[in-house]
Amino acid sequence: MPEIKMLTDGVRLVSESTDKYKTGCISVSMALPMDERMAANALLVYLLKRSCKAYPDFSLLSGKLDELYGAILGAGVSKNGESQVLTLSITCLADKFALENESIQLEAAQLLSDIVFQPNAENGSFGEDALATEKRLLIQRIEEELNDKRTYAFNKCVSYMCKNEAFGKDKYGTIEEIEAVTMADVYSAWQNLLSTAVFQITVVGAADAKKVACIFEKNFAGIERKPAETETVFIQKSRRFNRFEEKFPVNQGKLVIGFRAGMSHRRDNIFAFTVMNDIFGMGTYSKLFTNIREKMSLAYYCWSRLVASKGIVLVESGIDTDKEKKVTAEVLSQLSDLRNGKTDLEVLESSKRALRERHTFTSPEGVLGWYSAQVICDEILTPEDMVNGIEQVTMEEICEAAKKLSVDTVFMLSAQEEAEDEV
Amino acid sequence: MKFNKFVDNKLGETVYCGKHPSGLEIRVLPKEGYDSAYAVFGVKYGSIDTAVKNASGDFETIPEGTAHFLEHKLFESEDLNAFERFAKTGASANAYTSFEKTAYLFKGSDKIEESLEILLDFVQNPYFTQQTVEKEQGIIGQEIRMYQDLPDWQVMFNMLKALYSNHPVRIDIAGTQESIAQIDADLLYRLYENFYNPANMVLCVVGGIDHEKVAEIVEKNVKKTQGTPCERKFEKENPVPVQNYIEEKLSVAQKQFMLGFKEDISEPLLSLEDEIASQIMLEAITGKSSPLFKKLLDEELIDMAFGSELFNGFGFSCVMLGGTSKDPERTSAIIKEEFARLNEEGINPEAFERAKRKLYGRMVMNYNDIDDTANMLMNLYFNGYEPFAEIEACKSVTLEKAQERLAKIKDEYSALSVISPIA
Repeated sequence: MPEIKMLTDGVRLVSESTDKYKTGCISVSMALPMDERMAANALLVYLLKRSCKAYPDFSLLSGKLDELYGAILGAGVSKNGESQVLTLSITCLADKFALENESIQLEAAQLLSDIVFQPNAENGSFGEDALATEKRLLIQRIEEELNDKRTYAFNKCVSYMCKNEAFGKDKYGTIEEIEAVTMADVYSAWQNLLSTAVFQITVVGAADAKKVACIFEKNFAGIERKPAETETVFIQKSRRFNRFEEKFPVNQGKLVIGFRAGMSHRRDNIFAFTVMNDIFGMGTYSKLFTNIREKMSLAYYCWSRLVASKGIVLVESGIDTDKEKKVTAEVLSQLSDLRNGKTDLEVLESSKRALRERHTFTSPEGVLGWYSAQVICDEILTPEDMVNGIEQVTMEEICEAAKKLSVDTVFMLSAQEEAEDEV
Repeated sequence: MKFNKFVDNKLGETVYCGKHPSGLEIRVLPKEGYDSAYAVFGVKYGSIDTAVKNASGDFETIPEGTAHFLEHKLFESEDLNAFERFAKTGASANAYTSFEKTAYLFKGSDKIEESLEILLDFVQNPYFTQQTVEKEQGIIGQEIRMYQDLPDWQVMFNMLKALYSNHPVRIDIAGTQESIAQIDADLLYRLYENFYNPANMVLCVVGGIDHEKVAEIVEKNVKKTQGTPCERKFEKENPVPVQNYIEEKLSVAQKQFMLGFKEDISEPLLSLEDEIASQIMLEAITGKSSPLFKKLLDEELIDMAFGSELFNGFGFSCVMLGGTSKDPERTSAIIKEEFARLNEEGINPEAFERAKRKLYGRMVMNYNDIDDTANMLMNLYFNGYEPFAEIEACKSVTLEKAQERLAKIKDEYSALSVISPIA
């Protein structure tokens, strides 16, 4: 069971200390509304990761991490419902593995807090060169989303489907917005972050939660907090059907089918939706795997993903472009079987067993990921809560959940005919 | 079965190694306080095995991609397939094929003994028909197409093709559409008999099960017939690459590159000491805290994903450096200059020590998750090493050794692979 403590207004500490692992991990998740500051926020998190007052440039900070036995400093931007979440995290060895008896954990915790609160900034500036570099890298990161066609197609489907909702925006903001960000914008984004973001500090493994709490409390002491609440729009039923297509010179096409799940909030009937999605297209016993891959040999992968924080389900598959209609029809026919209770009880039991395993974490990163994803949830759900809830789900509830799914948007990334086959 | 016990007190781990009468090696690392266990059953048979020794002692060529094809097919059986059997225990099962091995694995927290029996049983009992082989050609065909569109994958294989003229490391792990079309059920049975003999295999188990229990299950489920390890043919390659530059156009946003330096080796395998000294040397020279990384970043030639590694195995060894770059040729020139400079002036001793600490830390982290630990135990065995040999080797690497490894990197043995955007 995790320990939960509010450090100050909108700053929650969730910790699960154990000496079971070789490492300790700390993450700081910071949730903000998806507004006009998105690009500045995204640039900010990467600027913070570069350096801090004590290690004022990228090489020095990297050298410090190496000295801390290869501590891993992470930074990222994600969408969590209609919030933009910035994350900074550190993972390092437990003190008992230090070769010279130094305290790795405490130094790492201090370093992470310095990165958030004591950046390498003077007179409202993080340094023009640093900002220019991070702009270049972030724009490149966005452009490179094109390189992985599977993720590209997934994101495209979401952005078309949620075009009129905040969720349809890119998590980093647009390239134009990033180009337009000024130093004053990033600096004010940092000040805004400290006073208005909803924070969750998650501590797992060998890290000492009390000491971490102390370090962060001290830093928040001088800050006037006005945490910003965000609301996520849940569209329960699709009122249209859209299909979009883009052609690329590739070997394999990517099909993404977006559904509205029919949830009214992220925990709405969450256990039934989780099992339903698993039976639909996650496990090796699922309808999509056993039919589209194993029986029909149409794809190497075809799976469904439930994005509960937004109440949508996406089915993705890598297929030959001319099989789009066939695969789509089969996906819908499998959904129809699921709705009509044409599922073996054995499959339901398999799914419950597999989901129990999926919520049995064997690494600190697994535990950390589970809790930090709940940054904007009022109540913390433990993996045990989830497993217990899943255990109770009945076949009827699964059929009911499946009946709520409505197709909204199909995105097809098609192979152009002149695509080369070989090098 | 008798076990040898290997203990690393600093790490706090014990590994039990035993040999079954069939020749099967067993390595178990029990973890106290863990419900979950991870088991991997590995065969020394990978994509580089493109020849088998026949009755008259000659090496006979086989199609490319057979190890991977067999990996897919072993999941099938006359009644319930392996996925269906694991669904009854809840364990998540999977398999992968690499250059030098095929590995079958599961992870689970409930009914571990039963899952272990399933793992041993399905790998030892092949069943396929011409019809199921043909069905798999469709699925693997899609898998090959998927990889053909992945620039990270293509940039590496193109580089290997440029570096190696004969060694099968130059071919794709899954083979090609043409090569897999030559595979039939008879061939698969023949190759199965050749490679899947216990003397050519290892079972590694990590987590909530002890070595005695594992031994008991092996006794019951592994046939005692003594096999012989398969031989691989070592042919010394001319260190000079086939070509120094190779380029392919794909649908990508920016140029991707990989620079490879082939090592002139006279023995099929590097020593563990050489391997680790190379990793430390590369980290010291090209890591994020290095002057080289800073220079390349400041000149806008790389992004944060730039990295290097030693890539080696039976009969091949090369150093690879790669990432995204607007000018791969200029980037390569700068890297080569830096190697030349440090060959003259010597590697910075502080950078060496930092890199060594980092590698030690990362090695300890490998014991964090049961997945990583089991796979590492398997790799050590296949390369002829005892447990914890890697940590000991890391602690004793000297700067002189790293310098020696750097001297092996030669411009005349290099090739640059570039993926550039389709205009």
